[in-house]
Amino acid sequence: MNDDTLDPLIHVPTRLKIVATLAALPDGDTLSFTRLQDLIGLTPGNLIIHLRKLEDAEYISSEKARNGTVSITTVALTGHGRKALDAYTRALRGLLGGDLLDSR
Amino acid sequence: MNHPTPDAIASGNEGAMSPQQAAAMLDQTTYEARRKLTPSPPWLLTVRAVAVLAALGNIWLTVRGQHPYQGPTGADVPVLVAFIVLNFFATVTVRERALAGVRGVTRFRPAEIAIFVAVFAAVPLMMWALDSAGVSFALYPTTVVIVPGLALAGIQTARGGWGSSWGGLAVTAVGVAGAFAGPVGSWAVAAVGLCAVLLGKAAVVARQQRGSLS
Repeated sequence: MNDDTLDPLIHVPTRLKIVATLAALPDGDTLSFTRLQDLIGLTPGNLIIHLRKLEDAEYISSEKARNGTVSITTVALTGHGRKALDAYTRALRGLLGGDLLDSR
Repeated sequence: MNHPTPDAIASGNEGAMSPQQAAAMLDQTTYEARRKLTPSPPWLLTVRAVAVLAALGNIWLTVRGQHPYQGPTGADVPVLVAFIVLNFFATVTVRERALAGVRGVTRFRPAEIAIFVAVFAAVPLMMWALDSAGVSFALYPTTVVIVPGLALAGIQTARGGWGSSWGGLAVTAVGVAGAFAGPVGSWAVAAVGLCAVLLGKAAVVARQQRGSLS
């Protein structure tokens, strides 16, 4: 993939939101599935589909832990995923020629 | 704008985005995520800065006319205690809300919490020892923050290197500066100095919250 090619796995609105949200945490930190769902505003089914695709590519890792009777799923961006987002961001910069949008 | 169909969403392949749309979404999502996951948001730091300026500045206004210096009046102490208690609970509440579902280095480790508790417990003992030794600045309000500031700097350094220890070092610097300001002046130094540190921290956090591309 050259520098100006947008990673097709990330270049999907929902997955871009997932990866960008997880990247807001420091390396190694995990986020619970329910908090991620709350932050992105997706249904559990939708989120699972996209997380599975990202996990298959090893962009994220997930872990299921048991807390008493409750099962908690946590997800984290892997080093590979962080590098992929960095490359995606660089590619966007390249495509937009540094003339980036200020969305706020 | 492309609206993905339910089938496309279910398959994980929504409609295509232009680079401009992707850039806007990346920026907005990054900003929102950082804003919601920040344990000490700029608004809270700013409120704390104003509150510390008001609480300690008010005491400075009451003690500056004292000759000789007698310390805060009985009316000032409840206000100061109320400020400390409110500040503590507001900070903990906002932090816990921001870090709900987050695990890892963003949260304080038990050892770090233990260090803070031990340090704050040791501060009155240290001040008493300094006072017994006849040290002039033993009971200054700024003396209270010297050791906690150093502890904070140590923890910040352990977490993110020297570059991230400026907050703790700045608090320590306020404490040391107060030692040279006299008993009355130390209240003003504490008020202005701690307010400036908190506003500086608010500015740094606000800058860190900016999106990936802006």
